[in-house]
Amino acid sequence: MSFAGFELTVALPKGRMMASAYRAFAAAGVELPAARGERDLWHGDGKLAVLELRGADVPTYVDLGIADVGVVGRDVLLEAGRNLYEPVDLGFGVCRLSLIRRPDDDAPIRRIASKYPRFTQAWLRRRGQVADVVKLHGNVELAALVGLADAVVDVVQTGSTLRAAGLVEVEVLARSSARLVVNPSALKLKRELIHPLIEKLRQVKIND
Amino acid sequence: MIPEGTRYHLPPEAAARLVLLERWRSLFNSWGYDPVELPALEGFDPGHPLAERAFKLVDKSGRVLALRSEFTTAVMRMVASERLQDRLYRFQYAGKLWLRDSEVGLGRMREFVQAGVEAVGASSPRLDAELLELAWEALRAAELPGARLEVGMPALVADLLAATGLEERQRARLRAAIERKNTPELAELLEASAVTGDVARAILALPDLYGGPEVLAAARRLPLGEAARRDLDWLDEVLNALPAELEVLLDLGLARAYDYYSGIHFRAYTPDFGLPLLGGGRYDGAAGVGAAGFALGLERVLEARGLPRELNAPDVLACDAETARSLRAQGLRVELAWTDDPDELRAYARARGIGRIVGPQGEVEP
Repeated sequence: MSFAGFELTVALPKGRMMASAYRAFAAAGVELPAARGERDLWHGDGKLAVLELRGADVPTYVDLGIADVGVVGRDVLLEAGRNLYEPVDLGFGVCRLSLIRRPDDDAPIRRIASKYPRFTQAWLRRRGQVADVVKLHGNVELAALVGLADAVVDVVQTGSTLRAAGLVEVEVLARSSARLVVNPSALKLKRELIHPLIEKLRQVKIND
Repeated sequence: MIPEGTRYHLPPEAAARLVLLERWRSLFNSWGYDPVELPALEGFDPGHPLAERAFKLVDKSGRVLALRSEFTTAVMRMVASERLQDRLYRFQYAGKLWLRDSEVGLGRMREFVQAGVEAVGASSPRLDAELLELAWEALRAAELPGARLEVGMPALVADLLAATGLEERQRARLRAAIERKNTPELAELLEASAVTGDVARAILALPDLYGGPEVLAAARRLPLGEAARRDLDWLDEVLNALPAELEVLLDLGLARAYDYYSGIHFRAYTPDFGLPLLGGGRYDGAAGVGAAGFALGLERVLEARGLPRELNAPDVLACDAETARSLRAQGLRVELAWTDDPDELRAYARARGIGRIVGPQGEVEP
């Protein structure tokens, strides 16, 4: 069921994290095959294959064993709730998942908008709080500004977007950075490939 | 439209499912495991390990029922309520299970079949080894030569976590980090809960203790307490009781598939398939006695093996009942014609893949 014919299949999220992942793997002595063109869905060089995915799809591909390993933000993992090994904190892509509100707003929260509905629900349950969670796909801050929701849960990197929008970060709910995720079956059956990779990636320091 | 996560199993596949179940049944039977049947309807119990994921129904009296979601708990309840605790019993079962989970993927259904065994009423490394060997035989019966068994010892993880003296809630977080091999988070948690020294060192080593027999030796070199050493001795005895050709993988970081595992836990993997094919282990005390067993996932095993493409066509289309009877008596698979129209019969035989049409006067030209 894994991507046939390759020794190791790596799932990477498109965008900035992908470039950092290439550098991290290179620093660990693994040269991932380069993309041949904009419209390539995957690239392989005989031994290694790279699948270019939306971040949220990386845990799915790794969980089902199509990819053996992947790189993905912890924020995405928290939302995906899949059974994966996450043995390495790669250190780049640092951000936090925060509760964000209008500055003057301290009314009880009855509705939260987020791209992370599962995570938000779980956080509410742990708090013993009840609120509706609305799933949005982008521009989540707008929901708080225009009153679609009393608060939003979203990724914050520097906080400048928030400040520009006139919102405040009320509470940090989780801290995130890029993780190496590994399919349990692949880790065991391809130990001689993946174990050294983990060991080396743990030594690597890459900045965004 | 049938509900998501359920499936029609059409002829070539349905036949392959039955063949596999029959092989397992006869294998388990030859090892002395007696079949039991369990109700698919259970009384809902919030303490059931899969309580949240089970389908619920309301009985005529208003009582909540659940569709069977797992066999081990069901067998343990049968053992307790039928008081089958006076000696060692070997049971086998096969049947459907249901889970509400919406995350449907390859080999992951909401209605699925498992077959398995339980050895109830005793606890010994030799019994654990018996189950491992039987699981291995079951994989061979399924024609999965590349499949590997992996053995862990959740009892070791539990004993090391108990040595921290932390509360259960904190231990659960450590256990989750071990289970996900999340070493960075594990280190943070240990530091935050002020667990240091030998205990912390041993716990931090757990996620990386996977591989071949060398893993056990590496674990022996860790600073372990009395209980943890006894766990390793037990595991040693299990491995020594296995046949030489059965080389298992080890993962001492296996922490919890279910909370009830008290000794070993094992699963099986096969190359190029991301999900475990079977799962099992020891759960002494679950029914007041020693107990261990394993279950194979029928859908997963078939998915890993590749579904059959060939229709198992009958050997002969017989033109009359007498011919059909005599050919069947020779052991052939024979269908009976429903009409005398030779063109219609030929067309049917072609579509069905039947090679021969036979009448009272012998072979009819196709």
